[in-house]
Amino acid sequence: MLPEFETEIEEPSAVAIESEEERRSRTGRIFSYAVMILIIVVILAPIIPIFIWAFSGRWFYPDLLPEEFSLRAIKYIFSPASKAAEAVLKGGSIALIATLLSLIVGIPAGRAIGLHDFRGKKLVLFLILAPVIVPGLSVLMGIHVAFIRFGLAGTVGGVTLAHLIATTPYVVMVMSSVFSNYDPEFEEQARTLGANVRKTFVHVTFPVIFPGVLVAGMFAFIISWGQYIVTLLISGGKVITVPLLLVNFASGADKPVTAALALLFLAPSIVIILITSKYLTGESAALGGFGA
Amino acid sequence: MEKSIPASGIISKTLRFEMFDELRERLHVPMLLLPAMVVIIVLFMGGLIMGLMQSFGYLPMIGKTDFNLNGYINILTDESFLQSLAVTSWIGFASTITATILAIVTALVLRQSMRGKRITTFIYQLNVPVPHIVGAIGIIFLFSQSGLLSRCTTQFGLTQAPADFPPMIYDKYSIGIIMEYVWKTMAFTGVILLAVLQGLGEDYEDVARTLGANGWQRLRYVIIPLLMPGILRSSILVFAFAFGAFEIPFLLGQRYPRALPVLSYEYYHDVDLGFRQEAMATSMIIAGLITILILIYMKLTETYVRSD
Amino acid sequence: MKRRLLLLLTLFVIAAFAIAACGGEPAAEEPAAEEPAAEEPAAEEPAAEEPAEEPMGEDLGLAAPLDGMSWEEVVAAADGMEVNWWMWGGSDTINAFVNEYMANELKEQYNITLNQVPVAGPTEFINQVLGEKDAGVDDAGAVDIMWINGENFRTMKEADLLYGPFAEVVPSGMHYDWTDASIANDFGYPVDGYEIPWSGAQVVLEYDTEKVEPLADMGALVEWVKENPGLFTYPAPPDFTGSVWVRMMCYYATGGYEQFLGPFNQELFDEKFPACWDLLNELEPFLWREGETYPEGQPANIDMFANGEVLYRMTYGPGDAQTRIDNGTYPETVRTFVLEDGTIANTNYISVAYNAANLPAAVVVANFIADPETQYQRVVQLKSLVPVDVTTLDADMAAKYASVELGPAVLGLDVLGPHKLPELSADWLVAIENGWIENVLQK
Repeated sequence: MLPEFETEIEEPSAVAIESEEERRSRTGRIFSYAVMILIIVVILAPIIPIFIWAFSGRWFYPDLLPEEFSLRAIKYIFSPASKAAEAVLKGGSIALIATLLSLIVGIPAGRAIGLHDFRGKKLVLFLILAPVIVPGLSVLMGIHVAFIRFGLAGTVGGVTLAHLIATTPYVVMVMSSVFSNYDPEFEEQARTLGANVRKTFVHVTFPVIFPGVLVAGMFAFIISWGQYIVTLLISGGKVITVPLLLVNFASGADKPVTAALALLFLAPSIVIILITSKYLTGESAALGGFGA
Repeated sequence: MEKSIPASGIISKTLRFEMFDELRERLHVPMLLLPAMVVIIVLFMGGLIMGLMQSFGYLPMIGKTDFNLNGYINILTDESFLQSLAVTSWIGFASTITATILAIVTALVLRQSMRGKRITTFIYQLNVPVPHIVGAIGIIFLFSQSGLLSRCTTQFGLTQAPADFPPMIYDKYSIGIIMEYVWKTMAFTGVILLAVLQGLGEDYEDVARTLGANGWQRLRYVIIPLLMPGILRSSILVFAFAFGAFEIPFLLGQRYPRALPVLSYEYYHDVDLGFRQEAMATSMIIAGLITILILIYMKLTETYVRSD
Repeated sequence: MKRRLLLLLTLFVIAAFAIAACGGEPAAEEPAAEEPAAEEPAAEEPAAEEPAEEPMGEDLGLAAPLDGMSWEEVVAAADGMEVNWWMWGGSDTINAFVNEYMANELKEQYNITLNQVPVAGPTEFINQVLGEKDAGVDDAGAVDIMWINGENFRTMKEADLLYGPFAEVVPSGMHYDWTDASIANDFGYPVDGYEIPWSGAQVVLEYDTEKVEPLADMGALVEWVKENPGLFTYPAPPDFTGSVWVRMMCYYATGGYEQFLGPFNQELFDEKFPACWDLLNELEPFLWREGETYPEGQPANIDMFANGEVLYRMTYGPGDAQTRIDNGTYPETVRTFVLEDGTIANTNYISVAYNAANLPAAVVVANFIADPETQYQRVVQLKSLVPVDVTTLDADMAAKYASVELGPAVLGLDVLGPHKLPELSADWLVAIENGWIENVLQK
């Protein structure tokens, strides 16, 4: 530490200091560039083979590229035999409904947490966060019996309800962060001017929180879309969604079909990241994707 | 934040509003919270509690009423459970530590303004919404002994046959599993840390630099403490996931010993249904362990966390 | 204005999805039709006909609640129903056959909607029916028919979870030789009309002609593995392929299967099977990954074989290799062989849940599955082994069967037939699987 301090005060060896710092920052820059290239390679590495496999025909070890390309896997996905269309429809509907329900319960809760301080807030926060930390399997195995009893097991409705456990905390968290930046003054002014509750909400509140709602909704959708063990356990394999199909194929027997399904599975996530990247950065983004 | 009563109203209207508003005021927040709380308490806590009860063999709803500890005793004395516990702990800690370190490094690199930063950051974030299952499939395609990497090494003469390539999936060190978790959560943690760093700016470090601190010292005494809340928040989530998730060890793990969540699912689906209690006990232990470890972690890092 | 449009669009999309979701749910509302009198399809003569026994009105002899009904009445009752067939979903070729050929034919011929419910294993439907029985759901079960055999059949039959007897009286029943022990007994347990054959299976070994030669018998295989370490493995039991492989090695190690025919004998098991565990443990270090792990199921094993990670693969499906060659997942040089000391063969069946929500349709579908025409299509499209008794076929059908072109990688019935070994009763299976887990996997 001392030498650096001294050289900063001393003027004469200006040239010497310069090159030392320059050298350090040059190695620093090389290191940084190396890391950035590494990041790009590492992040993309698992995804690229999936794209190639989806369009490949015969491709055996040790060939680096397929012997022949083929659309067999893609055609299979679009044929009724694969049940992919049904899985997309079922999974999509469940996700949509779970998203709507989560938003309905999550927006007010997010408002309460973001805007207000109240007794028991810590407990509420704990309850909101707990489903994110406690593994889903533990909760599901417990509740499965009740679902069977109430005729929910194996039904689309039961699966949707089960998905709520995973999606609601995220919606609440995103909305509470939206509301904590929200200024209720506008609402008060609207009320003073005579607007009733509905008008206030529609014309004042909602437009302001809309980006947040969009983000929260899209994350809820992705989380529900991607649920595997929840859907598998509660429906006993009766309700087929895309992740269920994918895992069935995933151990490798028919790699092209697995890859094609993976792409199908991936598609909404990519669409959503493109749409929401406009609206957010940082924590909320990471948080939502985490549940995927 | 209290809603203020408009002072500029007509007197009698103000009085009526006052009474009404007080009632609405009291109920306002609870009503807002009610729907979400109902969902979470009924489904989440309900499920957890029923799981707990079933682990003791007690669930009147389906006519089970003998309360006993057999489930727990059976698994805690079973070698395969203990081995699974060891494997799962290894996966949890190794993934979390590796992902956190890599996230710090990458966040530090990415916050500098350099050419290519924007595209790198974009690709970095691209990984976040990719589902874990897809990541696992990618890992299988790349790292299986007849996978892409192995084919590369054979093309370059480093290996001759699939068996020459080191096993990374279905292997006893769970390398594939750890890689998948690190791949996903490094970006997750990194994005959070990057946001924190960008929010903080370089001021603190400049001050430290003028005081004579070198790179390592700045890292240790300034940057890490500032990042600590973010590191804490994300590594808790990462660990909880790496320890308790089912999908990845199911796809990439070895046959024996298997990760705890997969073991508990195995018990749950045993043919004679004779292992239900053990299944519940296992999943309760998983949940309990995660909670305890997180509490310990939070206690240990209390000094670093500023109050939000 | 734009906002309103967006809102409308969103509502429309949601409505569309919601309709799709609700429409996709299996119709559990139609209870089994009890009274034949209630069914009066226009084409049929009125049931007011006096007991002049016409063949059309003949009582099939099915069990309640379909008792007293003729086949035509069952078919009429089944009209418009939806049948949930819970079956192993791990083969995309079988799935395609079920969802395309079979579903289309059932719709056209009987106006029945076939709904395949793919599951990873039989525990899923056993749990489902068991759970329903516990909860008192006796006529609206989510499971109509199941692809089943072995210990799972016995478990369900003993727990009264199956509908029957039906198999010998339905029209297709006459095309199976119920005096053949491998058909009348399912892993040593009497079928008794509670299940009808769906497919046959026999273990064959796949190999790549470019890399290795067929092996003569189990002894030769053991030697080969020792001389070529790391190039052979088998899926871990209780995967059914891994399980049958362990059983075959045990037949070899214990000196033959004959001593184990008949009910399970614990003493005999304890006395003889250690020889098998010894052999498997001895072999372990020479297996893939030095035996430290075994592939979880067939898909991983298939992939390893296709890429040369292992050089032989065992499978219950003699036609599998050809199917994979055809769809590009196996190299074209793959062929199959059987061991001279024989390979295990068995029959797979279809059974009906006791509480099937769509009972008449379930029986019609089960019959359709066993119909020789359907079975013939199986041979053509899936290169399957089928248990049909060709001597019961009429001339045309017999000719069709005789002229099927299978493909170079499929062994003919003339090769497979003489090399059949029987399965042991289900209790032996469970004991062997658990024995393997305890004595080989966990060591």
